[in-house]
Amino acid sequence: MSLKSAAIPSSVAFDAISASLSSSDADRKDAIKKGGAIFAFTIKNGDKTESWYIDLKETGTVGKGAAPEGKKANVTLVMSDKDFQALIDGKANAQKLFMSGKLKVKGDVMKAQKCEPILKKARAQSKL
Amino acid sequence: MSFLGGAECSTAGNPLSQFTKHVQDDKSLQRDRMVGRGPGGMQEGMRSQQMGGGSNEMMNEFMQQPAQLPQGHGPASPFALEHMRRELERLDQAQHQRSGSPAWAAEFDPGMEAPQAMGPGMQERPAGFSPAEFAKYQQMTPNARTASPTVNAPMGYQRPMGFGGMGMNGMGMGGMGMGMGGMGMMHQPYAPQNFQQPMQDSGKGKGRMVELDDHDWEAQFAQLEKTDQHQHLDALDAEANAHIEAELNEMDRSVEQEAVDFGDFESIWKGIQAETEHARQLANEENFVDGMHMGDMDQWEGFDGLNTHSASDPPFSDYLPEQLNPFTESVNPFEDGVKIMEEGGNLSLAALNFEAAVQKDPQHVAAWVKLGEAQAQNEKETPAIRALEQALKLDPSNLDALMGLAVSYTNEGYESTAYRTLERWLATKYPSLLKEPLSSDADMGFTDRHLLHEKVTNLFIEAAQLSPSGEQMDPDVQVGLGVLFYSVEEYDKAVDCFGAALASTESGTSNSSLQVHLLWNRLGATLANSGKSEEAIDAYSRALSLRPNFVRARYNLGVSCINIGCFTEAAQHLLGALAMHKFIQSEGQEVVREMAQKNGFSEAHTNDLIQQNQSTNLYDTLRRVFGQMGRRDLADIVGPGMDVDKFRGEFEF
Repeated sequence: MSLKSAAIPSSVAFDAISASLSSSDADRKDAIKKGGAIFAFTIKNGDKTESWYIDLKETGTVGKGAAPEGKKANVTLVMSDKDFQALIDGKANAQKLFMSGKLKVKGDVMKAQKCEPILKKARAQSKL
Repeated sequence: MSFLGGAECSTAGNPLSQFTKHVQDDKSLQRDRMVGRGPGGMQEGMRSQQMGGGSNEMMNEFMQQPAQLPQGHGPASPFALEHMRRELERLDQAQHQRSGSPAWAAEFDPGMEAPQAMGPGMQERPAGFSPAEFAKYQQMTPNARTASPTVNAPMGYQRPMGFGGMGMNGMGMGGMGMGMGGMGMMHQPYAPQNFQQPMQDSGKGKGRMVELDDHDWEAQFAQLEKTDQHQHLDALDAEANAHIEAELNEMDRSVEQEAVDFGDFESIWKGIQAETEHARQLANEENFVDGMHMGDMDQWEGFDGLNTHSASDPPFSDYLPEQLNPFTESVNPFEDGVKIMEEGGNLSLAALNFEAAVQKDPQHVAAWVKLGEAQAQNEKETPAIRALEQALKLDPSNLDALMGLAVSYTNEGYESTAYRTLERWLATKYPSLLKEPLSSDADMGFTDRHLLHEKVTNLFIEAAQLSPSGEQMDPDVQVGLGVLFYSVEEYDKAVDCFGAALASTESGTSNSSLQVHLLWNRLGATLANSGKSEEAIDAYSRALSLRPNFVRARYNLGVSCINIGCFTEAAQHLLGALAMHKFIQSEGQEVVREMAQKNGFSEAHTNDLIQQNQSTNLYDTLRRVFGQMGRRDLADIVGPGMDVDKFRGEFEF
């Protein structure tokens, strides 16, 4: 089951995050502990807009839509496809995007700060 | 609200003095400003709404007082219609002139609301003539004349003036509710002045006419008026002071409230600092530090397991050698191991040799260091850290062990420990640079960590400045700096440092032929983590061309392949890396399991023992690759003890 959307190229990242969360129990538990919330991402590419969620409250899963069924996202991050890609690549910083108005946060801003380490999971980390 | 000062308050407490001052001063200037402005935004004054309630009262007041009117200052007979008509004309005039009230109001800020509110009342008047309005009108007109002898002076203008003065007055005392309060006040000075109306009456009238935000304040003002009228200035001062005091007390209380809140925060803060010393309890405090960059601190949880200084979890704090080691019987396993390392042989074999060496002689520092290095290069971080810590226990100033440990800590996310280890490294190599004692283990707060990083970085920069610029710099210092920048994600700087170390002609440990592949790998990892996967792959290739068995570089290569979306290649590299580990698998695990059962260890503990010399990292990453390839079937097979050869059919490695 792929979470990717053709309209939003950067959405590959959700597959990557999903893969990293499901590949290691320890990782998933760690992510749930660090995240502790349901993060929703609304990503715009041109006139297309789609949403994904990362549930780091209970299940540690990623899915399409603004929130898991019957639940509500604690925080929703709205940004463009390009900015999301930059965020995933580590070329942009969520705080800077937020300051420059490229990233909009609905809901608990404090929680939003926790999502950066989560997004890093989209990239496997190299070792020195 | 700068009027809150006591002195200003009490001298200005006499509304009459303020009143006259304002009425007599520079009217022409202000009138000029008002001319020609359109009436804007004045329709919703409260005057028109509030008039109704007070109107009968006002009329009564008026009716009670007519006899006294002649004593007033108006030249005309009190009740002459002629007079009234003239006044009406003036009202019309005034209406025009008042229309500029916003500008005027800006100057008399505190009284602003009231004058604006006046507008509608004035405007309505000419149209309909209710008794109440008539009464009010009578109250006002003589006063207008009293206040200003100029017959043509626009009435509407004067009234706000007087009011403005009072409004400010009130401001000084109460600091609140000026506009509204002022409205009601207005009539008071006029009434007593011109009609000698009994005070209580006016009090009542005012009470009904005006909706006050602050009733206390209103009452206070009424009292002030009374005392003022009887020239009891002392009493006035006392009243004002009392009121000020009350206000101030109230403010004090609110400040105290804040102070209490702050106190709360401080205690929390202290709590956090205490907590960080006991890193394990940190998670409990998480909520308080949500907003701060605290996430990484979580990683300290369970760190005790790795920390040799803590005796709480011995099975994890000591190096656990492989049980089935064919080299235990060899004559000189250390030298064999070194030879394997130099020749770029299988790192697992080298590690086994060093294990045999330290089993023979636990005090063999060099063997511990080499063991740590071999395990780190073999992508087995945890055993590497244990071995290097063991080496440091025996020889606290071993530079290789310190540097290797700093790198491993950084990889595992134990930044503070990494910084301290680098500091120790520097203190050992450049003792002259260290002006303060080494940082203690205790200060582990996140701000402290930032300071520590800054401090250690500065020390390293000083060390770098010691050697002549250009190619003669100490490459080891550059590596240390690179690690420091890497850990705070300043990848560009880190790349510069590793690049400089590679370019340096000065011989150091890190660019010796034995370790230069490590440097390439570090450069690659830094590039990869800064999003430059392609350049990183180039650097890894350099490392692997020097040491084909360099498992970590192969793992990193796999990671970079994942990040650029080449999953098949990634899987091949990762499987290749795992195949190099294969040597020690299979039977070795069974032995561990047997031994664990003999000692009565729990199932979980047994699994930990089995996994502790495994590279869970490689398995997790491989599983992830299969996940992203959509091959759940393959991902499910991946795990410790799997047979790498199962994948030979699909992947080449």
